[in-house]
Amino acid sequence: MIKTISGILFTWLLLSSCSKEDNSVSNNNKNFEIPFFIPADFPALNHAVKSNKPTKYGVELGEKLFHEKRFSGNNTISCASCHNPSLAFSDGKMQAIGIDDRVGLRNTPPLQNLAFMKFYNWDGNILELEKQPLVPIITHEEMNSSILEVISKIRDDSDYKDLFKKAFGDSDITPDRIYKSLVQYEYTLVSANSKYDKVKRNEGDKFTDAEERGYMLFKQKCASCHATELFTDQSFRNIGFPLNKNIEEAGRARVTGVSGDYMAFRVPSLRNAAYTAPYGSFGQFPTLRSVLDYFDNGVLAADNLDPILQANGNRIPLSEQEKEDIISFIHTLSDSTFIRK
Amino acid sequence: MKKIKNDLTLSAVSTKNKNRMSVCFPSSRLLRLFQLMLIALVMAACSKDNDKPVANNISLHFNNTFKNSSIVLGEADSPTATANTSANGQVHHFSELKYVISNIRLVKIDGTEIPYHVNDLDKGATVVNQAKLSTLDYMLADVPVGEYKQIKFGFGIKQGLNTLDQFRFPIFYGIAEANDTEMMWQWATGYRFAKIEGFYESDQKKFTIHTGSTLNGKAGQPDTYVQGVDAYRDITLDLNTALVVGGNKPEITIKADFDKLFSGKNKITIDAKYATAPQQHEGMEVMVEYVNNMGGDGQEDRSGMFSIQKIEN
Repeated sequence: MIKTISGILFTWLLLSSCSKEDNSVSNNNKNFEIPFFIPADFPALNHAVKSNKPTKYGVELGEKLFHEKRFSGNNTISCASCHNPSLAFSDGKMQAIGIDDRVGLRNTPPLQNLAFMKFYNWDGNILELEKQPLVPIITHEEMNSSILEVISKIRDDSDYKDLFKKAFGDSDITPDRIYKSLVQYEYTLVSANSKYDKVKRNEGDKFTDAEERGYMLFKQKCASCHATELFTDQSFRNIGFPLNKNIEEAGRARVTGVSGDYMAFRVPSLRNAAYTAPYGSFGQFPTLRSVLDYFDNGVLAADNLDPILQANGNRIPLSEQEKEDIISFIHTLSDSTFIRK
Repeated sequence: MKKIKNDLTLSAVSTKNKNRMSVCFPSSRLLRLFQLMLIALVMAACSKDNDKPVANNISLHFNNTFKNSSIVLGEADSPTATANTSANGQVHHFSELKYVISNIRLVKIDGTEIPYHVNDLDKGATVVNQAKLSTLDYMLADVPVGEYKQIKFGFGIKQGLNTLDQFRFPIFYGIAEANDTEMMWQWATGYRFAKIEGFYESDQKKFTIHTGSTLNGKAGQPDTYVQGVDAYRDITLDLNTALVVGGNKPEITIKADFDKLFSGKNKITIDAKYATAPQQHEGMEVMVEYVNNMGGDGQEDRSGMFSIQKIEN
């Protein structure tokens, strides 16, 4: 009898200790939405964010996938190869370089504050970020692979199985889960901690005289396009930059079919611009200074040249001092905490 | 010929058989099996006796022409390529000619529309490629018997299916992706609907015409913005002679007259601007003119360059 009781007791103890352990393990693995910091005065979130809110393990998985070289046909290129975190997720090259040194059509766009964007890519062809990851995977000049090829390469990787399970409840690796987790990670790439932000938040930082002069000039000569706290109004404009002769290029016109959009591109954010040289849709300009010189000298004429430039004689006149000052201000938009991500 | 009824009956028997087997005692198993085999044999014999198929195959043959001449492709200065002269007097020929057909529907005499795998690109869509003879014939399998008066199909791929979804439609994706086909616009995550390249005028300048949709966003969703061009065209062709699907396997020859490309409703002059750089799809307004010439405007013109050349019942 005693033997039986002690046997039962022992079994119960064993079971309860087991289940306690299980509980604690599952608590650690429990996925949850991570608090999403929305900086003051930022525009509204893209509507897609509410269907794909960043979660702890979704983001962890997304970050791992972001650095996964098996996304490319020959396992040499990951998202991070072109979207290099230390360059505000750009690559420092004129045009993106994919597998086998293939040259892409355009300059790699930096990735930042994407959750607040309405349009993605220089021509705005993508409206929901979840639809973007497939493009580089299958593009010949980028990763030159396919989503099923990617899945077949990572399917048996136990780290991934574990992370997919933590992020999505089971270890199935599906295209949608890959897109969603990558994008969850990208949504977390918020940059709003530059000197400009600190000055604005009255955190004790002060603009230098040159920065202050630059800020005034900026508001006067740049902010009609580089508007809002994202420093882009997200409009598409032909600003008469030197033309990309690649026959695939037409700017936004290849998306909308409207000739008024010919060679129009999305106004780039100027946040972290100091890290993202060269500039222009195919990296026409090596430095910020060369961009300002170009505006000062006059841009290419076009029927659909931006009306603001047309009204201004196809140029933005700037003195040498003004250029220096504007560049000083643009440097205050550099977020050193962001590029350490 | 496929006798669907027969096949279905047999498979029903065999399923039943399998289920029963597990509950039967070993001693009766053999007897039961024999019994079932007998039923199956009798049924097979029965259906052989009254030979009435419920469905049969139809072959769609695409005859790509300049007016009445079937097109022969060729590189620059090819002596064998079929030359054509546009309404605006430009001599030209094709080196490449591909287009996508999908969303096929057949309309019975009584007006009933029979869709053919309209939401399945793997089973219901094809790339017609003039350089590959086998792609000029597309077989529609197991079309219900009856008399048909009309065929409808999509020139291109309708919005919603046009997403390069390899996971859902690996077969069609594979065909479109292949190096010798290249019917994808990766940047737009959509398929190319037509890819036509060739040479024009005596100095054999190259021209390149690619069409496809760039639609994005979801209609009716206030948050989403719909942008882009819809290059899909729905084609409707009346069958002068009724198409009879029964014990036979009929063939429909569809003529696609590419003379219309430059000389349809829109008379287009190929010029250097649109022939070399940029490609035709870059000026989407120009692309739409080509799409309308080939596929109609989707309003009054629902046939474009397509017509029924022949029906063989």
